[in-house]
Amino acid sequence: MTFTKDHIGGLVFLCLSAAYGYYAGQIPLLPGDEYAPFHARSLPNALAFMGGALSIALLVSGRRDRAHRLQLGGYDFFLVGALLALVALFGIALTWLGFLVSTVLFLIGGYWLLGERRIRVLLLASVPFGVGIWFVLSQLLDIYLAPGRLFSYLFGG
Amino acid sequence: MLDGIMTGLTTAVMPFNVMMVVVGCFAGTFIGMLPGLGPISAVALMIPITYGLDPASGIILMAGVYYGAVFGGSTSSILINAPGCASTVASAFDGYPLAQQKQAGKALALAAYSSFTGGTIGALILLFAAPALASVSLSFQSGDYFALMVLGLTAVAAFSGRGQVLKALIMTVFGLMIATVGTDITSGAPRYTFGSIDLIDGISFLLLAMATFALTEVVMTVLKGQHREPEPEMDMKSLGSMKLSREEVKEVAPTIARSSVFGFIVGVLPGAGATIASFLAYGFERNLASAKERLKFGKGALRGLAAPESANNAASTGSFVPLLTLGIPGSGTTAIMLGALIAYGIQPGPRLFVDNPDVFWSVIISMYFGNLVLLILNLPLIPYISRLLVIPRPILIPLILFFSITGVYLVSFNTFDIQMMVFITVAAIFLKLLEFPMAPMLLGFILGGIMEKNLSRALTLSDGSLAFLWERPLTLTIMVLAITMLLLPLFGQLRRRLFAGRGPEVASSEGEG
Repeated sequence: MTFTKDHIGGLVFLCLSAAYGYYAGQIPLLPGDEYAPFHARSLPNALAFMGGALSIALLVSGRRDRAHRLQLGGYDFFLVGALLALVALFGIALTWLGFLVSTVLFLIGGYWLLGERRIRVLLLASVPFGVGIWFVLSQLLDIYLAPGRLFSYLFGG
Repeated sequence: MLDGIMTGLTTAVMPFNVMMVVVGCFAGTFIGMLPGLGPISAVALMIPITYGLDPASGIILMAGVYYGAVFGGSTSSILINAPGCASTVASAFDGYPLAQQKQAGKALALAAYSSFTGGTIGALILLFAAPALASVSLSFQSGDYFALMVLGLTAVAAFSGRGQVLKALIMTVFGLMIATVGTDITSGAPRYTFGSIDLIDGISFLLLAMATFALTEVVMTVLKGQHREPEPEMDMKSLGSMKLSREEVKEVAPTIARSSVFGFIVGVLPGAGATIASFLAYGFERNLASAKERLKFGKGALRGLAAPESANNAASTGSFVPLLTLGIPGSGTTAIMLGALIAYGIQPGPRLFVDNPDVFWSVIISMYFGNLVLLILNLPLIPYISRLLVIPRPILIPLILFFSITGVYLVSFNTFDIQMMVFITVAAIFLKLLEFPMAPMLLGFILGGIMEKNLSRALTLSDGSLAFLWERPLTLTIMVLAITMLLLPLFGQLRRRLFAGRGPEVASSEGEG
């Protein structure tokens, strides 16, 4: 039997529905809720059942031809992984380095990852943009952007 | 009604709101032109900006972006044969051959006139249809609302395309599951928070919309290596004349009128949207054409361009009918707008035109303004706006990523949201590779809370009996419609898979829009 995208999807959602259903049983109920027509577990229980039933239906009726097998060749997973890691790092950097520095570093990193190597372009497309956005947000729109924790530790404040 | 129209007109003509329409149309046109980014992504990118505006201005901006994005998609379809979104794929069939014949100017003008007429006819029908439907739906009870939500969710799944119905249904259920994360509204019990304070309020709609549409769509272009493709070469000097001759106008006028009404009707159907409308209108027009004219289709027929262009704009307008009157979005894009309205504390539905007439009417009126802006401002500026298409992708992609992330961060100021976006994006990429559509998930997520509230109320009133689903003729009718809509394609799909040939089927998630 050929294992296609439909079967993988069906299996993933079957597992998800099972886990969702298990945790539905962990939702705390108020005393007497079990006699109420509708409580905090009602919808999750129904959804877990529906999710399971639909996943099984997809597993049973899924396309079986080779054309629908999951093909991962030709995709640049490494680059996407690096970009998403950069996004996650941007989230961490916001706390430690502040908005302006994080933005400039994120943009330089993004351009570099996507193949831009000219230092002039890297700087020109990130520093003025970062300063401009920071100015609009903090000075014009008066949005408070906390300075990075690192600078607070180093210089106080 | 006249009072309402006047209220809407007063709100819509306020200089700030007019500016929102203009800005929205421009921003939408630019984003819509970028291959891979359609109206959903464009509207999602605007949500953080609208949070700082009052509801009427916010929704006007989003409506402008929606129109602009559909128009921008047509422009890239015609100029470089790279549709920005699924609803403008049909425009490339005859638009691009026209551009190759050095008649790009004429094709763009025809697209703009058709879009304008389609949008205008749509807006006029909406002006009368929406209040009529809204006044009928004022008598709805919680059971009817629940049934309507079920209808909306099943309709989106049913229209998701051949081979996709089960997957769309699973994604709808997945969306409903995500909506249960957070504190339960009735009992206050935490659900699926796993002890994390960051999940107590649930997952924000903005975060989910940005991660699944803006961020995922951009990352998918990188995954497919599209960022390495050379920037399109456009010779703006060979655009040609933007004028249509009298004969050409006579030739396309009936087509535009037909396709506009047709597009509006298809757009009103929950879940159908502009993509289906444009393809159906194209096919319908080709069938109507004489054998001689039919040969021209696909080679630069003016009617072949006018039909999908009028239909997709009229359908975009039509999709506002279920959103504004019933609170059920007609497309993925209006689903995002529904989420934005709910975030404002406004409940779209029958009470909208009673409680917030300014929002209700100003949206309708500004749609007309949006069409005018596209015709008067965008069309002459197309040669200049198109230049933005040649910004190198390695520069453009990090900028779009930055706007998506900071859009979410600047609302919550919680860096956990950024990590959550990364997690959701990874999951969304995996699901997209498995050909699961994203729009039903978002719709399930948005409608999940309201659906649970209405179901809880209806069940409590009927003392736990499900009889409320068939006791009132109205609820019963809606439920029968929902079940029919659900079962027809499902049976068809099962029958084809189990008994007929097991050959490959066309599965597509392109219909999102």
